Amino acid sequence: MKRADPKGGAGAPSGVDKRVAAIRAGHRATIARAITEIENDLPQSGALSAAIAADIGRAHVVGITGAPGAGKSTLINALLQQYAARGRRVAVAAIDPSSPITGGAVLGDRIRMGSSGGADGVFIRSLASRGHAGGLARATRRIVDLLDAAGFDVVIVETVGAGQSDVDIASLADTSVVVCPPGLGDDVQAIKAGILEIADVLVVNKGDQPLADRTERELDDMLHLRARRPGWRVRVLRTTATTGEGVSALVDTLDAHAAEAGVGRRRRQAATPPPGDAVSDTLRRFCESDPYQRLNAIEFVESAPGSATMRMRVGKSHLNFNGKCHGGAIFCLADSAFGIAANQYGVIAAGIDTHMTFQVAVSEGDVLTARSTEVSRTAKLAIYRVDVTRGDGTVVSSFTGTVYLTTRRHAPHLTP
Amino acid sequence: MKTRPKVLITKIGLDGHDRGSRIVAAHLRDAGMEVVYTPPWQEIGNVVKLAVEEDVDVIGVSSLATDHLIVPKLMAALREADLSDVAVIVGGIVPDEDEQALLDAGVARVFHPGSPLEDIAAYIVEATARVRAARFPALDAIR
Repeated sequence: MKRADPKGGAGAPSGVDKRVAAIRAGHRATIARAITEIENDLPQSGALSAAIAADIGRAHVVGITGAPGAGKSTLINALLQQYAARGRRVAVAAIDPSSPITGGAVLGDRIRMGSSGGADGVFIRSLASRGHAGGLARATRRIVDLLDAAGFDVVIVETVGAGQSDVDIASLADTSVVVCPPGLGDDVQAIKAGILEIADVLVVNKGDQPLADRTERELDDMLHLRARRPGWRVRVLRTTATTGEGVSALVDTLDAHAAEAGVGRRRRQAATPPPGDAVSDTLRRFCESDPYQRLNAIEFVESAPGSATMRMRVGKSHLNFNGKCHGGAIFCLADSAFGIAANQYGVIAAGIDTHMTFQVAVSEGDVLTARSTEVSRTAKLAIYRVDVTRGDGTVVSSFTGTVYLTTRRHAPHLTP
Repeated sequence: MKTRPKVLITKIGLDGHDRGSRIVAAHLRDAGMEVVYTPPWQEIGNVVKLAVEEDVDVIGVSSLATDHLIVPKLMAALREADLSDVAVIVGGIVPDEDEQALLDAGVARVFHPGSPLEDIAAYIVEATARVRAARFPALDAIR
């Protein structure tokens, strides 16, 4: 598929090669700018992501999650010192929440990594969640891929202060660490059905506090009550991040988990490599032979098995009587991304149910991007989620949809 | 891309009066910006590393007790790191007779005591648009 940026600039083909070489060589400014492009979904970021696809899957991705105030950032500071002592290069992606009201954010995790943030072998990037739920920012996975390709030995992802259901980190990280402050008491009971279940390692941080003993015992008890699963045995460790106590043992445990469970988990779940020319051309033909999409000026951006990205620039013909973008037009965009994602398996996927929210009004001139991802797929049913974002990264609409996978094939001109 | 500015609010030197930088950071957040905030006493090398890795559009340096005098050193360090396109603004107490030296060193704008927060935010939006237009020339093509 030809997707080179026709406007040249940073996305021109020779530019991509040079930039990929700089990224592989660990050139900070190039890495940082590429993250900005991915975060803002700029057109040139697609070519860059494709160019580094062969380089990923080597880094050990460690997710650090836990309640606000558990000491995640301070623990990461201690981990950075310990990794540095072992000669490893580490990148950190630290995610803080965006305000649901204004979209603004204060990114302050980094300041608690202060004593390590200045080290040469450490790269830290703060990311705002920008309305994405689940504890991560929408672009986190692609940013982790980039840091992986840049040759960092370890990529640490710090989630926003997590609640019960913020478990997205588990599908991204090779090793998930859940940090628990001492004295959670009843809170431990409250959250044990959610976030504690994804932990490969449980850390009782602030281990010098009097309640640490009890919290460690409670977590141990919880693990004993759980049915044993084959493979890795989840363990509880105690750290005092401010003094570094227990952190060396934690790194040993993280290494042991990487050795046993392997690295590159997010790739194993990513199904298959990016589509070849034949598949993409076919999907493009799907769009071209869809008069309703054309009527709404919806363009195909990219796709991979189970996912698709579509774009629409809001013009006069998309407006409602209030002068804002008509909900039906946004739905059509999301529905198109849903349809393309679901129809990549060779059989006709028929939409049977959808739901959509409209959380932000959209104006003329806004460029909307709909990105669909596969939530689950069985022999007959598949469920997709679509986020519709504005150019500034704000999620304006969220969509979920279910398809019935028929046994009928697509028309011949729509088959690769 | 609509501009959601990414701004670094920091203090260099030995002055620890951080009330002003906190107030500005909170206001910019409420104005919809993504603000990387640091405590006072940052070393210049650390500010540069941070600005590179976070790829900020604007750096706001707060100075209430003569730290503005080392801002030219920061400007030189930013130039050396190839970051001369970042807009640097200084806020706080800068005597009139020192202001020109800061502007000559490449500071984009100095905000004196009593500057309305709205003016600072509006200036940052404007500066960000300039910085991004230079960094991402192809952007208008998708807007």
